[in-house]
Amino acid sequence: MAMTAEDVLSIIAAESGVDRAALKPEATLVDLDISSIDVASVVFELEDRFGVAIEPENIAPDFTIADFVDHIVSLAKK
Amino acid sequence: MKRKVVITGMGCVSGLGIGVGETWRRAIEGEGAIRPIDRSGVQGQAAWIAPEDVSAAAADLELRRLGRLDPLSLYALVAAAEAVEAAGLGDHPSLTERTAILLGCGSPGNATLDAAFERLYAKGLGKLHPQTIPSSMISAPASHLAMLFGVHGPTMVISSACASSANALGEALHMIRGGRVEVAIAGGTEACVSYGSWVAWHALGVVAPDTCRPFSRDRQGLALGEGAAILVLESEEHAVARGAAILGELAGYGASSDAADMTAPDQDGIEAAIRAAHRDAGIAPDQPRLISTHGTGTKLNDAVEAAAVRAVHGAGLEGSTVIATKSAHGHLIGGSGAVEFVIGMKALAEGLAPSVLNYLGPDPECGDLPLALAPQAIEHDTLVSNSFAFGGLNAVLIGRKQT
Repeated sequence: MAMTAEDVLSIIAAESGVDRAALKPEATLVDLDISSIDVASVVFELEDRFGVAIEPENIAPDFTIADFVDHIVSLAKK
Repeated sequence: MKRKVVITGMGCVSGLGIGVGETWRRAIEGEGAIRPIDRSGVQGQAAWIAPEDVSAAAADLELRRLGRLDPLSLYALVAAAEAVEAAGLGDHPSLTERTAILLGCGSPGNATLDAAFERLYAKGLGKLHPQTIPSSMISAPASHLAMLFGVHGPTMVISSACASSANALGEALHMIRGGRVEVAIAGGTEACVSYGSWVAWHALGVVAPDTCRPFSRDRQGLALGEGAAILVLESEEHAVARGAAILGELAGYGASSDAADMTAPDQDGIEAAIRAAHRDAGIAPDQPRLISTHGTGTKLNDAVEAAAVRAVHGAGLEGSTVIATKSAHGHLIGGSGAVEFVIGMKALAEGLAPSVLNYLGPDPECGDLPLALAPQAIEHDTLVSNSFAFGGLNAVLIGRKQT
């Protein structure tokens, strides 16, 4: 199934509880108080829904939202 | 001299509604919550809560940091927020260090576990959501309340099946009396109206096909309910010092274990708990009281409880009033004791006893009891609230009206 940046953003919002509107591209995960368990939950949902394999340890706390989305979308294209 | 422990806030979520006000209104007007249910494999009769009602009640709470919430936690959070707000304790410094959280739960987050097992065994998927453990564990609701209110004192869940929340309230009473804390956020929660739990309860053969008819002829068993009730308990000095409104007193607690059978009740064990509660409150059992029975509507419980109540209260039963509110809110398993204590305290305060619903007529096996078969005016100043669990675990609370 094709994955868009918006798919990733909506899953980040749903799993972390952070408002979708607050997910600005330049904000880092730390800025947004998105914890490692939030990231693990996001990764689980993405893998489940889109069949993509993601290593959560490759997603660093200083990633911006844009980094996070680019990373996932690039994995999905492989 | 025992430290007096008072109630300064109460909160409740059940099939009867969200909030103590709506719970009480429906209880006293005889609007029972046991009705048809059709929820993800669950079909039959239950006192269920519409998920959208709880979500709406939780909308204003700061829940983001708490992670994924099973209904077990969500019910507790909504009930506790009501109780803490009613107590006016929101930002009080005692919450940080001088407060305990004691909740009773009979089972963990059933909906979360069902979803996980469905993935594993039905869908053959080998991966589970990473928050499956933190959101389903039986102690999760206690942790969630601690996070929401910033409580750093002793925080735990007590599990004793259908007596869990009565045990939690009683143990909280003794923690305050013993000076370990000044405040306790205590009660119970249960979210058992989920497919796996539902089928397992039916397998035990104790669920009525129709409804819950406590102490009635032709009663066929219990009706499952769900929800939470939470109270704010405080030492009287603490409550008075901060000028809190006092709703009543939690005056006594008795607990016992039958050590006899995993499902059948034992009259001696039940009597022991009722007597212990009266001793703890420093009152005699042979005086007229408001008696809130465990009254599940099962053949065995009601007959054995009726015999125990007659044996303990003796001449005091004359002039007493017996209620059985599971006929309205169903059996919340671990949450029942706290819901019934809240309704019982409201009954004392309002001077009105809610009626036993769905009653068809007397059952010789239960004998005579002064059942409230219609809402009735009462002048009792003391509540005796019974909770008895599978596995023979009994807990009885004594409440006193604020005068």
